[in-house]
Amino acid sequence: MKKIFLLFIILTLATFMIAGCGGAVEEPKENVQQEQSEAEKQEATPSEDTSYPDKPITVTISYSAGGGTDTGARILLPYVEEILGVPVNVVNRPGGGGWVGWTYLLNQEPDGYTIGYINTPNLMTGYLNPEYNRDKSIDDFDLISNHVLDYGAIAVKADDDRFQTIDDLIEYAKKNDLTATSTGVGSDDHIAALKVNDEVGTKFVAVHGKGAAHGKAGVMGGHIDVLFANVGEATVPHKNGELRVLAVMSPERSEFLPDIPTLEEKGYGKIYSWSARGIAAPKGIDPEKLQVLSDAFAKAMANAEHIKKMNEMGLAVKPLIGDEYYQFLKDDESGVKKVSHLMGW
Amino acid sequence: MVTLFLINWATILQIMEKLLSIETILALIVGTIGGMIIGALPGLSATMGVALLIPVTFGMDPVSGLTMLTAIYTSAIYGGSISAILIHTPGTPASAATALDGYQMTLQGKGMKALGVTTISSMIGGVISAVALLFLAPPLSLISLKFNAPEYFLIAVFGLTIIGSLSAGSMVKGLASGVFGMVIALIGVDILTGYPRYTFGISSLESGISLVPAMIGLFSLSQVMIQVEKMGTKSVKFTGELKGKVLPTMQEFKSIFPTIIRSSFIGIFVGMLPGAGGDIGSWVGYNEAKRFSKHPEKFGTGIIEGVAAPEAANNAVTGGALIPLLTLGIPGSATTAVLLGGLFIQGLIPGRELFTTHANITYSVIFGFIIANFLMGIAGLSAARLLVKVTEVPSSVLAPIIVVFSVVGSYAINNNVFDIYVMLFFGLAGYLMRKTGFHPAPVVLAIILGPLAENGFRQSLILSRGNMLDYFMSRPICLILIALIILSLFSPMILNRFKERQTTKAKEGISTSS
Repeated sequence: MKKIFLLFIILTLATFMIAGCGGAVEEPKENVQQEQSEAEKQEATPSEDTSYPDKPITVTISYSAGGGTDTGARILLPYVEEILGVPVNVVNRPGGGGWVGWTYLLNQEPDGYTIGYINTPNLMTGYLNPEYNRDKSIDDFDLISNHVLDYGAIAVKADDDRFQTIDDLIEYAKKNDLTATSTGVGSDDHIAALKVNDEVGTKFVAVHGKGAAHGKAGVMGGHIDVLFANVGEATVPHKNGELRVLAVMSPERSEFLPDIPTLEEKGYGKIYSWSARGIAAPKGIDPEKLQVLSDAFAKAMANAEHIKKMNEMGLAVKPLIGDEYYQFLKDDESGVKKVSHLMGW
Repeated sequence: MVTLFLINWATILQIMEKLLSIETILALIVGTIGGMIIGALPGLSATMGVALLIPVTFGMDPVSGLTMLTAIYTSAIYGGSISAILIHTPGTPASAATALDGYQMTLQGKGMKALGVTTISSMIGGVISAVALLFLAPPLSLISLKFNAPEYFLIAVFGLTIIGSLSAGSMVKGLASGVFGMVIALIGVDILTGYPRYTFGISSLESGISLVPAMIGLFSLSQVMIQVEKMGTKSVKFTGELKGKVLPTMQEFKSIFPTIIRSSFIGIFVGMLPGAGGDIGSWVGYNEAKRFSKHPEKFGTGIIEGVAAPEAANNAVTGGALIPLLTLGIPGSATTAVLLGGLFIQGLIPGRELFTTHANITYSVIFGFIIANFLMGIAGLSAARLLVKVTEVPSSVLAPIIVVFSVVGSYAINNNVFDIYVMLFFGLAGYLMRKTGFHPAPVVLAIILGPLAENGFRQSLILSRGNMLDYFMSRPICLILIALIILSLFSPMILNRFKERQTTKAKEGISTSS
């Protein structure tokens, strides 16, 4: 009796250990590199008495483990860890369209040991929508660096004969209602459709659903007419012949879809849509610390291996730092404000 | 047919490779035996077991992680019957029907045989349902693209009609519990307008009440509270002796075989219904066995059919419930609602892609599930005698363990402290509900299906451009679902009338023959 229980307990522990090893295989290697880089740092800056960072850094992610933001972050952070020489830990704080995590982040000490991912346009819609009564804004963060920039794409079902080109689609949509996918009110996909309606006079009606997978299934099954999504979400079904991307909403063509025109080059004006995510700290961080972090992230993002891994996921790396990043987010904010009346606020 | 299964030799080799890895084999063994123990402990259900282990699977390979979860699912439902038979305390809600005849058998000194029949019925039910999953899910996934807002709405309504049958005793109390669940499901940002509903300015409430903590509170914590109340009184303990053979004789096996097969198919069907789990499956299986029996009056006195029928059915529910989960993302039972989270963690999204892009993972998990059912049978037949010990753990030891597990499990699923408060709230709510004769199951059903119904209905309003009736009528799957809803709503009345006629006929028959 006892023997069997013991055996079972041992088996259980063994499984957990194996499970744990899945994530821990790289650890010893990292430790070595950590020591090395620490050694390097000490050699490089022997006179500096402020030895930031000297303890683990926490990165909050406002979405659940396994989601797009989380996966992207977990690809990047090992490289940052290598450069900074201290452990960089991910903490997921999902909920409230991202605002559970962001509220938490803003309530932390700006000591440089708690930083987090911010996502657009969810961040802006979260504080611009008066329903939520939020008194925070982009100016409550000190920005470290942008990481990913995923432009919008417009696609239809692969065998939808009505629309061969984006012009067909827009001509038709000017006269008729067409249903369009959206991942929620104020999502980048929703704002994209509103922008096109506003600029060109089309009549896209958003059908809000939960997540991009829901929208894709709706278009592939012929229930919803047009897919408004991100390039990262539309590339694979486009290449599999399940969907046909008609246009991308970016200043330049996407590297993942080089033969798809932009709305701008087709003469519909500067209609851009994107979702971007980057890293920020709560306001008030020591400028020197901010510089250390910005440099570390910039260096990590330039790592070819990291870029390759991100591209395999269909995500374009777009590092932006300092004023450039701030301006980029401000543009995003004013873009949301411009269409806010269409959302009823 | 070729495109239906998309399995070729290369895939089969890959599946073999994945299933024969040390990690997967360990996961299978731990899942099966752990599931049996979890199930046998009153207060720890299959749902709880899966919820607790999902965070563990995060670092595991998708195949071994998901195989472990499905193994826990099926063997916990089996394990629940051991305590139902021996100490008349169902370890999981799915085993309540088994307690009727199983405990009678124990009182007659046939406890060992009851365990044997349970094990064999559970194994056969589980294997048949796993095979059904293997053959039904791929073709069903083909039509999954035909499902959209209107179909999801109708499926959710269909699932909600089951609340009537969930509420043992008072229909009004069952419906009230359902409405309570629907109200809970309203909390959070309305996806179609972006309006935060009933959030009271708390950011954590904006994403709604998370299902798993609510479920742990309603099922586990409230159960512990009830048990703690009884702590002073002498606890039920198995005092009898377990003797005799585990295996039924060939003749006995032949006599229960039709029952097992019937119950298995009932279980698969009930499992496929959204939200309806092993608890309903076992009662339907039991009632049908009684109806088909030549000696229905013997049910409840300790006969092996009365054990075989619910047992085959509740384990068959497991495979059935996985079918809509993998193809449509609609959980067929409360436990599969939790399993959905396990899929997401691995980056797997239900639908056609599971059977094309991720075919080798999906089929490996399904084959692993079949093996888990066999393993459960073998382990059960050889170790049932030992599992009795599990039921002897005093509640003074068990209660604190379950409370700890409840807190850890609620936190771990999202790494969110707020979810612990959610769990505590629902624990208290569940306790008060049980005290006043309400059942927590309809609440969970409504939390799962409420948002599906609401969003489905409102999305169809947009899709139909206001012309709802025509839109629904023009979709064949909708028509089938509407027919099913009507059938489900009125069948109890029709069945009752049918039964009355049958009994009067039978009486007439008796009177004429005598």
